[in-house]
Amino acid sequence: MFAGILLAVTSCKGDKKQGPAPSAGSSATDQVVGPWSLEKAAAPYRGVTLRTIGEALPPLEAMGRLTADFEKRTGIKVVIEMYEHSEAVNKVMLDLNSKVGRYDFILQPHRELGRFVTNGHVLPIEKFLSNPALRDPSFEPEKSLQPVLWKEISQYDGKVYGFPFTALSMYLWYRKDLLEDLQEQAGFKAKFGYDLKVPSTWKEYADAAAWFHRPDKKFYGTAIQGKRHEALWYEWLNFLYSFGGDMMKTDTGSKCGPVIVNSPEAVASLEYYKSLVKSSPPDTLNYFWDDVMALMQQGKVFELTMWNDSTYAVEDPKQSKVSGKMGFATLPVAPDSKAGKVGQIEGWTYLIPTASKNPEAAYLFIQWMMGFDQQLAQHLGGGASARPDVYAQPDVKKLSYSQASVDTNAVARPKPTIPQAPEITDILVRELSLALTGTKTPKQALDTAAVEMNKLLGACAPLVYPVQ
Amino acid sequence: MSHRSLPRRLYRLVARAGTVLADRGMGPAFLLPAVILLFIILVGPFFYTIFLSFTDLSYSTPGHDGNFVGLTNYRRLVTDDPVFWHSVATTLRFVAASVSIEMVLGFGLALVLASQAHRPRAVMPLLLVPMMLAPVAVGLLWKLVLQGEFGMVAYYLRKIGLVADDTSLLGDASLALPTMVLVDVWQWTPFVTLVALAGLLGLPRAPFEAAMMDGAGRVRIFFDITLPLMRPLLAMVLLLRTIDAFKEFDKVFLMTGGGPGISTELLSIYVYRVNFRNWDLGYGAVCAFMIYLVVLILCKLFYAALGQAGGGKST
Repeated sequence: MFAGILLAVTSCKGDKKQGPAPSAGSSATDQVVGPWSLEKAAAPYRGVTLRTIGEALPPLEAMGRLTADFEKRTGIKVVIEMYEHSEAVNKVMLDLNSKVGRYDFILQPHRELGRFVTNGHVLPIEKFLSNPALRDPSFEPEKSLQPVLWKEISQYDGKVYGFPFTALSMYLWYRKDLLEDLQEQAGFKAKFGYDLKVPSTWKEYADAAAWFHRPDKKFYGTAIQGKRHEALWYEWLNFLYSFGGDMMKTDTGSKCGPVIVNSPEAVASLEYYKSLVKSSPPDTLNYFWDDVMALMQQGKVFELTMWNDSTYAVEDPKQSKVSGKMGFATLPVAPDSKAGKVGQIEGWTYLIPTASKNPEAAYLFIQWMMGFDQQLAQHLGGGASARPDVYAQPDVKKLSYSQASVDTNAVARPKPTIPQAPEITDILVRELSLALTGTKTPKQALDTAAVEMNKLLGACAPLVYPVQ
Repeated sequence: MSHRSLPRRLYRLVARAGTVLADRGMGPAFLLPAVILLFIILVGPFFYTIFLSFTDLSYSTPGHDGNFVGLTNYRRLVTDDPVFWHSVATTLRFVAASVSIEMVLGFGLALVLASQAHRPRAVMPLLLVPMMLAPVAVGLLWKLVLQGEFGMVAYYLRKIGLVADDTSLLGDASLALPTMVLVDVWQWTPFVTLVALAGLLGLPRAPFEAAMMDGAGRVRIFFDITLPLMRPLLAMVLLLRTIDAFKEFDKVFLMTGGGPGISTELLSIYVYRVNFRNWDLGYGAVCAFMIYLVVLILCKLFYAALGQAGGGKST
């Protein structure tokens, strides 16, 4: 089974150089006559079909609804393939490594960026930005995008490879209606000695989860994403950062640094995270984001930490029983930690593969999608824009989750995007899952992760904390 | 010359030409297209995998461009990869449990159906449904029905007290693998039943009639006549099921992803992770090659055991 697939994906390996440069700088497209317009810029590519791939979530569905306008104006057709998270990543990796060029542009999580760049799979966007025939003079990403988000999501080692498709963050979701219930407030105060309010510390979060945890009524205090899946790692990062820990000591995701994933702060965060299992549903160790999302939509959970690109679906009355009953806030803090309020930078990014058959047309589409009108429409339809001016719009401000996104983006921290980042994720997912099942203690699990990260990364990632 | 006779003449001509060519030693040449195809889709990739296993090819680690590293990957597998060996042990447990239950249940069911000779036709289509479903569909179906909050099977298991309210079949590290075994048993027992039933219905009647005339009881007939006559067929089913269970991937990956922890991480899931999540293709080739070696050893052992039991004859 594996032999044939290995042959297919490795047959083109060896040529680590980037493929032939696209004709973005060719003389045919350099001729600018009159003011720039999308129609004029797209004229040479009329009739072309652009194929792309991404995760089947509201942001991509919202993009799908917008493409008709682009197609009408340019005559360029856009075909979107939607898959589950891991499937979308794997399909792209197979396409890039085999250099088939099925996709003219791709939408990928930014943790994959280092791997793509190192293998020469994606084109720097500079070639397109410096081509007056392609670049819209009014397109100024340097001014319109939040710099930190653009840098971490779409840039690697100082070079720009794309633009953020989504600027994601995780924050607190809670049932506002239950929090404001007078009877619940009185009961909570009698038991815990302080007022029931939106949890601002992890202790308050755990107390609220314990109070509302009523398994006999099939209602749960919280629901952690404990399945052996990337979701587990993402969720734990909220606690890790908040407790003052990190995976490596670096200031940016594209650099390697000393391994600190087994620091006392990290161990404390995992111990706390594990303690939430008792206030979660029995199946919580086999749940990932889709499952806990469904629980919240069915009104079976009081609070959880969740992604901003899912908020649209929980507030949509057609899909959710708790629409209008939800509250959203930044993550609680750990009072003993200096970290304060934190969030994690995460995002899917537009990229143009080296093997893309229509890189110029793909750039035109991406540039058009990054325009204010499209960003606003996509955001209102379930997207998560990296443009601050979108969040300033009255329609966006009205969204119940908008402020939580803005506040979390302001304190979001980078995560590794180095080529080995997906392997680091895989190691941590396994060890976190072992800790949650009780097979290992949090300290043992994180020690193992630290040793394996050190082995994987070599000299640039020495161990800082002793391992047992 | 009638039009009807033309194809017949043409056929005769081609047949005669074929005979002449075969007589002149050209026969093997006709096998060439099949051999070439086999080489492209099977032999070539197999040797390429072995070649890869001596390289450091990785799409994740910079500088690992497929350089020759000798036996480094093999050394790593033997001395420095406890997760791999855990997955080997998990796979063996899964195969032993699921195949033995399937064999006993499947053969038992076939005996029941064979004793009611007029009913199998009505029951078999129902029994065959799980076997005919795609593994992905089976995985999704069982994930849904075993889901703690919304799953129908989980609900009724709790309702009748077989499973406690706070127990999770897929989220508990000690229950996840047995649950995977039960799902596999649900899907593949009908296969054993189908083949065993065909075998039972095809057995000669004479030995049974002679034994009954000699006054042999049902148990004696089963152990001394039915089982020995069925042994070659059952052995073949056992081998097929063992090889198939060893390759199990879809259902388990969909239901648990190898978790909780590493409790359901079968060898196939581990190899998938190394190759297509981490893209560590040199090391992944060693792991893939190990699957081949383990299955090869199992087959050898199986045939050796069968040969001994059959007095030196193998199937």
